[in-house]
Amino acid sequence: MAFEYEKYLRMDKIPHLWCPGCGIGVVLKAMLRAVENMGWNKDDVAFVSGIGCTSRAPGYIDCNTLHTTHGRALAFATGIKLARPAKHVVIFSGDGDATAIGGNHFIHACRRNINMTLVVVNNNTYGMTGGQHSPTTPIGYKTSTTVYGNIDPTFDICMLARGAGASYVARATVNKGKQLEKYITKGFEHNGFSVIVATANCHTQFGRKNKMGDPISARKWIADREIPLEKAREMKAEELKDRVITGEFITEEPEKTRWDNYNHPVHEYTEAYQTIRDKAQEKK
Amino acid sequence: MSEKINIPDHYRRWEADIKIGKKDDHVTIGYWRDGCKGCGICVDVCPKKVWEIIEAKDKWNGQVVQVTDASKCIKCMLCEIHCPDFCIKIY
Repeated sequence: MAFEYEKYLRMDKIPHLWCPGCGIGVVLKAMLRAVENMGWNKDDVAFVSGIGCTSRAPGYIDCNTLHTTHGRALAFATGIKLARPAKHVVIFSGDGDATAIGGNHFIHACRRNINMTLVVVNNNTYGMTGGQHSPTTPIGYKTSTTVYGNIDPTFDICMLARGAGASYVARATVNKGKQLEKYITKGFEHNGFSVIVATANCHTQFGRKNKMGDPISARKWIADREIPLEKAREMKAEELKDRVITGEFITEEPEKTRWDNYNHPVHEYTEAYQTIRDKAQEKK
Repeated sequence: MSEKINIPDHYRRWEADIKIGKKDDHVTIGYWRDGCKGCGICVDVCPKKVWEIIEAKDKWNGQVVQVTDASKCIKCMLCEIHCPDFCIKIY
């Protein structure tokens, strides 16, 4: 049974402007299926994006959508959520948008644990502006600004989100559309800040400089590096170099007894904000 | 068969009677040629080689896809899930 994407799309804007075979299309489809799984009314959902290839996505979705400044999607989304706590806010962001330009907004949104869902499409480069290296470009790979190979160590977005205090963190790749859908649905269900990282292919900007200029080989490059979290737990650190670990890093019920969960969030931000609001109104 | 088939008129259609396990089934594959960018992901992900790449001079990379044999389809939906351009519908 085919899924009717037309229900959620502005069909006059389709076909979209992304390159042929772009992973963002697959992630967008997974997200729309997750919205359907939740049974949300279209008027109750707001999609927010920053700048970059991913920022075009809300333009194609027929819901409440907002296209904001570079990296500040989370700041705008926080405003929406605090003004309308009952609505669902989904942020669609890229790796450059979320972790480089908006890195500060990212960690502070994680810290506050606001009930929003952030979908980060990690394509290892700045695709729209000409393939410059981003904080997630693996070491040794060539981009237009690192022509002899990148030497900058990379961000692990999942670990960053976990350390900053997000309460649901998961990663999947574009090769596993169903898994992506499952994680995004769980993120929507979760009461707190949820981060879903989708490792995607950018064959036009990143791939061409690294001998994988077509979508098939770029997707294969991701599939070869992919490793489930359960398997990765039993492996040594040097074996996991340049690998993509997929799975759920933090779920609904973290092990409170484990020492590395000592700073796990205690409350959800909009609920805490409401108690402050009530307190302030009582005084008058 | 009992489910409603919602494929727009401008889609190309292929139909076939198939067998999934021992159960008889019917598949309708819809494909939107104008929206297709010829990336070839459907050809790559299909486990039964239902899709094939053909030449098309009006496309950027000179290729689109078509169904070779719809009766091979097992309705795994991989091509529908992984088509980034919303071009494939399977009922």
